Amino acid sequence: MIIAMVLFGLIVLSFLFSVSIYNLLIAMRQNVKNGWSQIDVQLKRRHDLIPNLVETAKGYMAHEKQTLENVIKARQQAVDASGLKDKQQAENFLSSTLKSLFAVVENYPNLKADQHMLKVQEELTTTENKIAFARQYYNDEVARFNTAVQTFPNNVIAGLFHFTKEDFFEIVNPAEKEAPQVKF
Amino acid sequence: MPYSFTQIEKEKGRVIAFVFSALLAFYFVTAFILYVACKNLFFAQYTLKQYQAPFHWQWISGTEALSLFAIAFFCGIGHWVFTVNGLVEKILGILKAERLNPEDKYHAVFRNIIDEVSVATGGVRIEGVVIPVCAMNAFAISDFSGRNVIGVTEGLLARLSRAQLEAVVGHEAAHIVSGDCLSTTVTTAMFEIYHSIRQILGHLMTKGRSSKNGDYGVIPGIFVIYVLLSFASFMGHLLRLFVSRQRELRADAIAVRLTRDPLSLAEALYSVSSRWRGAGLAGEELEAIFIVNPRFDQLDEKEGLIANIFSTHPPVSKRLKVLLDMARSDVSALERKWQEQRGRPRVLAPETRSARADPLSADQEKKWIVNKEGQWQGPFSLPDLMNLGWMRSDTWIKKIGVGEVQQAFENAEIRDFLWKKEQQTGFSCPHCRVGLFSDRYEGASIYYCPSCNGAFVKENNVHRIIIRQDYEFSERIKEAARKFYAQTRRDLPKVDLTPASLYYCPQCQKPKVKMMRMLYTLAYPVIVDKCSFCGFLWFDKDELEILQCMIEDANRENAKPA
Repeated sequence: MIIAMVLFGLIVLSFLFSVSIYNLLIAMRQNVKNGWSQIDVQLKRRHDLIPNLVETAKGYMAHEKQTLENVIKARQQAVDASGLKDKQQAENFLSSTLKSLFAVVENYPNLKADQHMLKVQEELTTTENKIAFARQYYNDEVARFNTAVQTFPNNVIAGLFHFTKEDFFEIVNPAEKEAPQVKF
Repeated sequence: MPYSFTQIEKEKGRVIAFVFSALLAFYFVTAFILYVACKNLFFAQYTLKQYQAPFHWQWISGTEALSLFAIAFFCGIGHWVFTVNGLVEKILGILKAERLNPEDKYHAVFRNIIDEVSVATGGVRIEGVVIPVCAMNAFAISDFSGRNVIGVTEGLLARLSRAQLEAVVGHEAAHIVSGDCLSTTVTTAMFEIYHSIRQILGHLMTKGRSSKNGDYGVIPGIFVIYVLLSFASFMGHLLRLFVSRQRELRADAIAVRLTRDPLSLAEALYSVSSRWRGAGLAGEELEAIFIVNPRFDQLDEKEGLIANIFSTHPPVSKRLKVLLDMARSDVSALERKWQEQRGRPRVLAPETRSARADPLSADQEKKWIVNKEGQWQGPFSLPDLMNLGWMRSDTWIKKIGVGEVQQAFENAEIRDFLWKKEQQTGFSCPHCRVGLFSDRYEGASIYYCPSCNGAFVKENNVHRIIIRQDYEFSERIKEAARKFYAQTRRDLPKVDLTPASLYYCPQCQKPKVKMMRMLYTLAYPVIVDKCSFCGFLWFDKDELEILQCMIEDANRENAKPA
């Protein structure tokens, strides 16, 4: 009798334990999704801003048609891209063309002083930063989720309910990858 | 993030339990003391007189204690509700904080930075406010309704770089996401109300004592109230002791996790700690919510048990060391960089405000023809063109001699003109009666007269303009400022107060009230006209720039390595 009760108790305990792990995994996966949607919102915002930027810059830099066309082309590619890998590539390419555009803008003092240009540039800067932060948040959450999915005993539950590893949003610049160590 | 919302909720419960028991204890002890004192007084006064019995100390019974406890409980609830209701709004009121103005360049950047950091936290909603003073400090507060506010002073906005500002906002956001912001806000604010009443009473009492007839003017009742308030104030301090100074270190660490930029946070901390942090301003009592203690307190810079208990902020040097270790840098490198940046010339050199003229007057030439229902009409000048009642953005137009037939919106010149026209404000110059134009100067909004180049500025914006350093001054202004300074060292300028020379306020237009003419301050005696209704200031030509230039020169002279 006692053995049966102990066994029953153990079963109930392990059931409760698995439920808590399952809930934890669900919550973490939700965080990952939330992180991804944040990136998406910011990327869209960037796509919306670029025509505005190009329109403003056009008037001042007649000789830099190529740079501007590159930006427009890269934007179109980024808008059309679907799937994580494609998106990553297109967005990284767009970032690099934008960087070269801003480098060219430095040579046009009139454009640099243009009120509208300053506004668009500030908007783009903040959007770029938001993309970086959203990516950082997403990657942190993915790392936490992946660790949770692969460690024992979570991996048993994860295998049972098909929780699989999520992909990172890769970064071109490897220096950004490292989170600094926090020590006291 | 290391802190989830469930953890914050748990933290909330702990804060409520802790602060409420402190309140309960306070009211119970107060009620107890008052009741026992009154009972013994009553006993001595009446019972002894009537029955001639020997005096013995009256204690209280269990029922009485229970009812005292009930009274304390209800008082505690009342106090709690009163404090927590609109807590954020009350604190912002005490600090005289203002909402962000989206038109202001610096405010727009600050708003963007808050949004960026909010993304880094995973989408916590944060509001931004500014305190319009020149000091450098930042704070975060939140309340039980889930409202989070980060505020900075104008001095901080003007002097820190974008990365540094981002790091500071990251630090404040760290307080919010880790939930300690809530406990700090509630504990600091709980006895604030009694503290301010006590200060007013104390002020009244000292005034009464120093009055001429030697009458102390303090009735014993007020004195008792004063003692009780002092007790409340002491309780407030006691409660604040539980706000651990370690939370600043933790917030620094989480900020680094959020922004991945320990060096900028170290630079910002160094910069804030070696300048005026806002001592003497309203809200000094709320020191715990600030990034660096607004008062310079020796205790803050010390380690050890006493400092750990009584100080609200850890030593800046310790915080710097932790951050610089993360960034693989050291204090001497930081100091060097700071010194270099002090002497840095300002970024945008070419333009000063006084170079501007009437943007609408240049286009008086009649060189435009317009197509109305198939008929070409004209020629018109640009201002005339805009005054045609039937003119629309898709009307066909042509510039005589040059260009092709276009629709109005396609022409850059017309677009430009319309944009400038929008800047006209409807105010007129008090001196020459022409319309004032609105413009941005040092990122803040001002109105200027195209004819005499006088400037009409809101008082808070004057402070902003003084702190911000976007534009370099021309040699003419620098020379004028030097001359003015040398002259006013000897004797103050004479203020012309003849009624006819005084101005009407361009904004209020009160028919019988003119603006006050006065010196800006005795140290910087530029003559200004101030409207006592709307608080706007009128500067004659170049005076605003001279004021700025003088203050900056003085700051440069006073600047010594910290």
